[in-house]
Amino acid sequence: MAKKRKHAYKQAPWRRQLRSMGLFILPIIAIALVVSLHLTVSARSASAGLQIMDMHYEEEGILRKIANQRIELAWASSYGQMQKRAEKLGFVVLPQESFHYMVINGYRGQEAVLIAPPPGSDQSPAPLVNEFYRQSLLDWFIHTFIENGSQTRGVQQ
Amino acid sequence: MNSKGFSRLLIIGALLSAASILIIIQMIRIQNSTSHQELSRWAEEQFSYAVENYSPERGNIYDRWGRLLAGNEDVYEIGVMLEFVSNPKTIASTLQGVDDLTYQDILASASQEFDPKKSVYAVIADFIPSGVIDVLSDIKQEYEIENPFGRNNQEPSLRGLIWHPHLKRSYSENSLASNVIGFYSYRDRQDGIGYYGVEEYYDDLLAGAPMETFMPRNPYLLESLPEVPSGASLVLTIDREIQAMVEKRLDEAVKEHEAESGTVIILNPKNGEILAMATQPRINLNIYWETEEQFKDKTPFNRAISETYEPGSVFKVLTMSAAFDKGIVDEESEFNDSGRFEYGGSVIYNWNRRGNGKQTMQGCMQKSLNVCLAWVATELGSEDFYSYMNAFGIGRMTNVDLGGEEIWPLSIPGDSDWYPIQLATNSFGQGVAVTPLQMATAVSAVANDGKMMKPHVLKAIIQDGQQYNTTPQVLGVPLKPETAKTMTDMLVKSLENESSLALVEGYKIAGKTGTAEIPVEGEYGIEETNASFVGWGPANDPQFLVYVWIEKPESSPWGSVVAAPVFRDIVKDLVGYLEIPSDGVKEELIALEGQS
Repeated sequence: MAKKRKHAYKQAPWRRQLRSMGLFILPIIAIALVVSLHLTVSARSASAGLQIMDMHYEEEGILRKIANQRIELAWASSYGQMQKRAEKLGFVVLPQESFHYMVINGYRGQEAVLIAPPPGSDQSPAPLVNEFYRQSLLDWFIHTFIENGSQTRGVQQ
Repeated sequence: MNSKGFSRLLIIGALLSAASILIIIQMIRIQNSTSHQELSRWAEEQFSYAVENYSPERGNIYDRWGRLLAGNEDVYEIGVMLEFVSNPKTIASTLQGVDDLTYQDILASASQEFDPKKSVYAVIADFIPSGVIDVLSDIKQEYEIENPFGRNNQEPSLRGLIWHPHLKRSYSENSLASNVIGFYSYRDRQDGIGYYGVEEYYDDLLAGAPMETFMPRNPYLLESLPEVPSGASLVLTIDREIQAMVEKRLDEAVKEHEAESGTVIILNPKNGEILAMATQPRINLNIYWETEEQFKDKTPFNRAISETYEPGSVFKVLTMSAAFDKGIVDEESEFNDSGRFEYGGSVIYNWNRRGNGKQTMQGCMQKSLNVCLAWVATELGSEDFYSYMNAFGIGRMTNVDLGGEEIWPLSIPGDSDWYPIQLATNSFGQGVAVTPLQMATAVSAVANDGKMMKPHVLKAIIQDGQQYNTTPQVLGVPLKPETAKTMTDMLVKSLENESSLALVEGYKIAGKTGTAEIPVEGEYGIEETNASFVGWGPANDPQFLVYVWIEKPESSPWGSVVAAPVFRDIVKDLVGYLEIPSDGVKEELIALEGQS
């Protein structure tokens, strides 16, 4: 009877074999997972690095293009070109005697040129990462349940 | 699973494990071998980093209203990678005619034998506009489809032909304001610098800071790239429209009077801003290498700041101002003009060698009497006279922000080259040499209540995306405000009384002509002269000061005939452009404004 009971609790050999295989494969799978994760992150970081490089060259190209278009515009609107266009369109320079001056309230003449903003104006770029992603769980908790809660109570009062 | 199946699995597992272990052992062995370390070191040195030279974009130059005067154009360097050239003849036939290149020259470049140590790359042409590159790119692509990788070297192929973009300085106004702008020697891509004018004076600012960095080729190491800010851009006080108008008037005058050259400066006496500065000759800045042909025999690039000359009677404004300021003479003072004045062992004569009898100081200025001014200077005394001249900046640099300013030192008592007669001759602008800008700056003190502002062409700097405006600087206060006012009134009356050709109807203009004799073989005579005019207006609220110098006119030697009409024509254009109403209209407008 006792012998029979012992047999009843002994695992089948195929189960033991499976357990052994499982124990052998489990760390391999774990290592494979870590390695694949590492590879994925590395690949993404390499891709980001290459993107940075590409964007850098692209930026250089864009800056050159902007400079080129700026000078092309300057050529098209140069004094000589404008003079030719004005003549072609039938404009003439008025003699000084035919000028007529009048008072226009608020008119202060041509304003001084401002190609770029003056120093002191806010030039700092907006943060790239949304505030939502920089918020800690504690910040979120305080903001959601304490600050918002007190505001709601204030409104109710 | 039976025990037989399990044993098979065990054997396979063991074999795979053994193979893995062997691979790992081999990896470790290779990793730690000396050859690997050498190879690794070599690869690291050769390929892990690339040296990148960042040349910031040269800053732009704008006129006072933001119109671009100097910018940068996208151009390309065309060359061949000799290793990859498949058909040099196709390259030569495609490129011939581009930038005046000949078939033979291109063929010689493209046919060079590839030598990894000596000849890898050959430049064919540079500064080729982007339009040409677009066409080349299309042709290259077409050939590449028909003859991939240029495998058949009998078929057309542009394989090996490459192009690199870079920026080239470009001057959209060609010769307009060339004497003020100067040029950048863009053809020297390594060591290009600014020459003359603004390009020279602000070269460091415009150029920015070139940078050499090691750029990792390993993308894992590439975290950030250096930000190379472009050179600062400059906004000048020059007004393109006024400059063009002045250059036109000057060219017409030089031609009409068959003069050797001419110079005109327009500045705002209240803040020293130079609105226009025109001289002759001028060059197309886009072909700056022709400078040497244009400026032969030490001809200065910008006469307004680099050529000194004896100004003649315009200098009398300074002498008379000094005497009034010191209280030596006043409006009631009289001088009996006999037509000759003996001083320092020499005799001074009037320009017409005639006497004019009793004259007030007003009369002396109106008739431009040398004798009277010599007397005034001697009454003032050499110490005070030269002290005032020093205060007016005569003999000293104005320090205008343009490259190439020159001066002639002022001889004063005690100097080895100073003689007593010079006090008399200097009083009417002979024996003293100034640049037109020095003279205009000195006279601007009279126009600006005695305060002399530093002449400048820089209105603002744009750096790191922000605009920094410049502040006008005071060079000195040589005169009292009341002296300046008295002198202005006197010079207004002088022009009106003599019905000067400089007068502009409806506007009160103060001014003075000048005719300076040029010594020929050591003898002063009327054969060759410098004709000048300096004037400002409106006299009660000066908005501009115009200095005109016509060098060696043939049609007439006199400043009143040659230079004064140029001043008038310029002022007529100027008051219209600057929207300055005539004195009568201004009064009407003020009255209207008061009513509303």
